Amino acid sequence: MTQLPPEVFTLIGINLFLVLSLLTHLLGNRFPKALPYIYQVAALFGLGYLVASRGYLMQAEESTRFWYSFAYLTTALTSVVAANFYVAAAKRLWTIAKAWFGAFSFPSILVAVFFVFQYDSMQGSIISLTPQIGLAVLAFAAGIGLTVTFSPATVKMLRRGKEVKQ
Amino acid sequence: MNLKKISSKKSITLLTLILASILISTASAAVYYSMIAQPAVTITAAPIVFAQGNDWPSDSTLGSNGTWVSLALKAYPNATLAYDQPLNVSNTDSSSHTFRLRHVSITPASGNSQVSNFTSINFVVENTAGTAQASFNYTTGGTTTWTTPSTTSYLTLPAGTQWIIYVSTVATAGANSGITANIQISVDVE
Repeated sequence: MTQLPPEVFTLIGINLFLVLSLLTHLLGNRFPKALPYIYQVAALFGLGYLVASRGYLMQAEESTRFWYSFAYLTTALTSVVAANFYVAAAKRLWTIAKAWFGAFSFPSILVAVFFVFQYDSMQGSIISLTPQIGLAVLAFAAGIGLTVTFSPATVKMLRRGKEVKQ
Repeated sequence: MNLKKISSKKSITLLTLILASILISTASAAVYYSMIAQPAVTITAAPIVFAQGNDWPSDSTLGSNGTWVSLALKAYPNATLAYDQPLNVSNTDSSSHTFRLRHVSITPASGNSQVSNFTSINFVVENTAGTAQASFNYTTGGTTTWTTPSTTSYLTLPAGTQWIIYVSTVATAGANSGITANIQISVDVE
């Protein structure tokens, strides 16, 4: 069985930051102008970490590498959820917020949860229960939220391409 | 006009961001792939090993992992001494594997005057039916130089099977007594 290196979390985090960067740019003046570039820098930081990690791969303990990568992924996920919250609460763009949640936040959390559980089953007991439960609760809450927010009326509204500002 | 200007500026910025994103994601994927591609070598016990036979020569040594053996073989002047089953080669795995025999060393070494006491030392690998599968011969031609055997070709040993290695030694008519040849051979498993 091929072992999953813990840097897989960094790789997911990098891609999350890159998508965030493009999305925040596409949404134009709804976000601060510097935000897309900040996310690009964050992705570059992840790439730097990957390169450095490859260099000291044989020396560093796996648990240390795991926690660094996990922290990076958590930062990326927090940024996704925070941007989602910013659109919903600060800008009150409910339709965009719901679409963002359904198409980006929720799948990202789900993928992260899947990989963390998968990693744990492959490596033994390297991950303590706390982050696993935390992620599972987050995914569960996100799933419930998705079911509640995506009512048939909202889907119809999205199809019509209407954006409702409340 | 102004709107067009704004739109084109935004497109250029978007294009830059997309290109940077592609670059970063490709580079990070390549670095990650290089991490996965690093080979991992696990040391395990060899599935094919040497084992002592019924006619195991005294003072011989079997390597602790069974992958090499050092045999102390005697010879009688002008006669052939046969060791019927000094050594076995066993496949301890549940699937078949291939192996070959490889010469490692022999003493007395070439150049030593004692070498000329020997004529030949022949190893024959026999399967369970007693059919010869390979031979592995050391000869001197009466000189002080050993002609050592080349490594055998790979032989397939079925799962859970043991083959025997038959050895015969021949010494010259005027050979001195008390001379023992120590031969070290090893088994390579594929």
